[in-house]
Amino acid sequence: MSNNTTDMEYAVETFSLTKIFSDWWGRAKVYAVDDLNLQVRYNEVFGLLGPNGSGKTTTLKMLLGLLHPTKGRALILGGDGTDSKINSRIGFLPEESYLYRYLNARETLDFYGRLFGLPTKLRKMRIEALLDMVGLKAVANRPVGTFSKGMARRIGLAQALINDPDLLILDEPTTGLDPIGTRQIKDLILKLAERGKTVLLCSHLLADVEDVCDRIAILYGGKIKNQGQVRDLLQQTNKRQITTDAISDIAIEKIKQLIQDEHAYCEVTSPMEKLETFFIKTVAAAQQQLQTISGAVSTTKIGDFLTRQTTSEDILDKLVSAPVSQESLPESPITEKVVPVESPTPEPDEQLLSKLTGSAEPSEPEPVFREEKVTTQPVESEAPQVEQVNKSILDQLTGRSTAQNEDEEQSNKSQAGDTGDG
Amino acid sequence: MKVAAVFLILLLVLLPVLGFSATGDGTLKGRLQTFVSYGLSLTSILLCLLTIIISIYSVTSDIEQRQIYTVITKPIRRFQFLLGKLLGVVLLDVILLSLFAAIIYTITIYTPQFFNATETECIQANNEFFTARAALNVPAVDVSQEVKERYEQLERSRELPEDISYKEIIAGLTAQQQLAKRAADVGQVLVWEFNNVQPLDQSMFIKFKYDVAVNPPDMQVYGRWFAGDYQYIRYGTESKTPVYDRIHKHSVRNFHEIEIPAEVIPEHGHLAVAFQNAPLNNTVIIFPPDGIEVLYKSDTFTGNFIRAVLLILSRLIFLACLGILASTFLSFPVAILLCLFLFATASFSGFVIESFSYLSVNIGIIYSYTIKWIVQLLPQFDKYNPTKFLVPARLLSWSLLARCVAVMVCIKAFLLLLAALVIFSYREIAKIIV
Repeated sequence: MSNNTTDMEYAVETFSLTKIFSDWWGRAKVYAVDDLNLQVRYNEVFGLLGPNGSGKTTTLKMLLGLLHPTKGRALILGGDGTDSKINSRIGFLPEESYLYRYLNARETLDFYGRLFGLPTKLRKMRIEALLDMVGLKAVANRPVGTFSKGMARRIGLAQALINDPDLLILDEPTTGLDPIGTRQIKDLILKLAERGKTVLLCSHLLADVEDVCDRIAILYGGKIKNQGQVRDLLQQTNKRQITTDAISDIAIEKIKQLIQDEHAYCEVTSPMEKLETFFIKTVAAAQQQLQTISGAVSTTKIGDFLTRQTTSEDILDKLVSAPVSQESLPESPITEKVVPVESPTPEPDEQLLSKLTGSAEPSEPEPVFREEKVTTQPVESEAPQVEQVNKSILDQLTGRSTAQNEDEEQSNKSQAGDTGDG
Repeated sequence: MKVAAVFLILLLVLLPVLGFSATGDGTLKGRLQTFVSYGLSLTSILLCLLTIIISIYSVTSDIEQRQIYTVITKPIRRFQFLLGKLLGVVLLDVILLSLFAAIIYTITIYTPQFFNATETECIQANNEFFTARAALNVPAVDVSQEVKERYEQLERSRELPEDISYKEIIAGLTAQQQLAKRAADVGQVLVWEFNNVQPLDQSMFIKFKYDVAVNPPDMQVYGRWFAGDYQYIRYGTESKTPVYDRIHKHSVRNFHEIEIPAEVIPEHGHLAVAFQNAPLNNTVIIFPPDGIEVLYKSDTFTGNFIRAVLLILSRLIFLACLGILASTFLSFPVAILLCLFLFATASFSGFVIESFSYLSVNIGIIYSYTIKWIVQLLPQFDKYNPTKFLVPARLLSWSLLARCVAVMVCIKAFLLLLAALVIFSYREIAKIIV
């Protein structure tokens, strides 16, 4: 690795972790995980990839103490996965959402919140924020046994976040989710990483992994076949791409000429919009037109307590008592402030290092890399939110309501009344 | 859990129906005895089954449907998970048991009014059912000295049979001598003494059964009964308290009770009861080994009923622990099967223990070190059956209850729970999926 200049601890570390499933007679049958050495740094989004049956889930289960390793050891946040102190800092979303069927969504979250011993006020606040975030507020009183797979997945995600975890372990987080939900999870992962949290996710949906992960490891047959920074692995250093606004044909010809002078080949096309962006744009437009659907409401909101830059519970509690609409605008991140409070984050050191050595070439400084990704978020999803909150504050100040807010309220009401299958 | 609802409705319907349909021998007392006996037994058995099913299901379904993945990875220790399940089951048991016990109690209390029982029936029910009577038994008389003398006498006169072992001769002689102590020839008097007789009520009871050598024509015999200060009856000294002295006529080979005013009991509580085979009879009267008891009220029916219900609760707690243990290493159907088998064995433990000791006479040592211990580990539900106390209105004392709870809950159930916690702490929670 290129970053072992500081003696930082790993958020997750395994030492020749091995799991052999043997048959009844004790004969080794399958090497599910074979001599795995995995290191996930703090404040890193790490993707564990691999085809079905490559040992991803088995690895996660061993990390969490649900399975005992046949050989080797796994450290998670510097301790054992069955230690309750460690557990209180972990959020886990299993490969499917296994929920208690007779509890409704709110009760489910309340149950998990109680397991963490969260104080009532904080718990209530977080539950509402999470329900809002996963778009299940309208169906919060329905037993989760009647939920569709995607809705159950959303509750599963909400329960993993209720303790505002330092380490989030997600097993196939986007299965069963619509593109908006998928986008939202990806945004959430990035936001959490910004706040210095660590995310370990395993998936075989490569597009998702590519969008959010800093580093990945590809497993096959329980062994790591390849690992490293996503950028390093994927960047084609022998090519360059230039994106411009719509410019005249004459200008293009000039550019082509320039490139030909360099003895290089060039191709000029209009860039394609990503299907995901297009889809979200379409749905957002439909939502504006009062179209109501039953089941989960896809929002692009992310729970305030997850994006807020302070981790002090006192401030959280103070904010609970404040009216929701005034609570917060999506604020500009001030990452430097968080660093001392949070677990050690590598960026400052890396930056310093690259400045000192003067060569930023071998590994891109992470903050720059991350910023790039943030800008790839669809503008369509972010802008309306800011606008709405702005408007609602404006309304409070002026005492009048805009047409858009009325629309929103109406659609929420009709969704609350309608409880079909999602 | 729909099974809980089914059991609940079943009991809610069955209990009042039982209240009407249970008639017993036609008397009010018989009706009450039948109702309490069937009602409590039914409640007990249904709650036992429910406890087994729920305690097993609550753990195995969490494991099989994998809800445990998200629960056990929260800051919850595994023993907390199991204890939580146990607590839930026990709480449910307490609620259901108190509900049904309250129903049974209410129906029992209002039965006399509801059926417009006559006054004599009410008095009988009050004396023999709505009470908790302590019973004083007569211990077997020590006859070893006489047996020894008789044996030596036979030996001297060379009348000992050759083909019978010493042990068997002694056993035969002992039985003979003890029978002689319980037999009263015509005109002969038998005296029994009882210590610490302290009735709560105005009267006490002598419960007895006659066996006879020759059947009297109408199957009835006369007996003259005395009760009072033992010094007066034994030695004829002056008695400060009155002495009971009356002749009764009773049928043979049935249990009877005669009521005696409590004022005959001397202050020091040392009472003597004497029986004279009335000269009118033409037969020897023998009291069987359990043929005579002195009964007196020492607590209320309510107190006894509450203790009986607590007895059932201790049984349920044991079964809940058993179910939790089974579910920590077995799947649902196997665990159910095992627990039901153990429950059945425990319900007939007396029979099981007896038949084992009978069958294993020839393999004595092996038996006494293996099966005997295993069988002893099982709880003995039949030995501490609450209806055994409530139906004859026997006192189920706090000390007996405490002993039973100590053995069944504090030792046996605790051991089961401990085993469950150890197994559960070290097992793999997740299923093997590759």
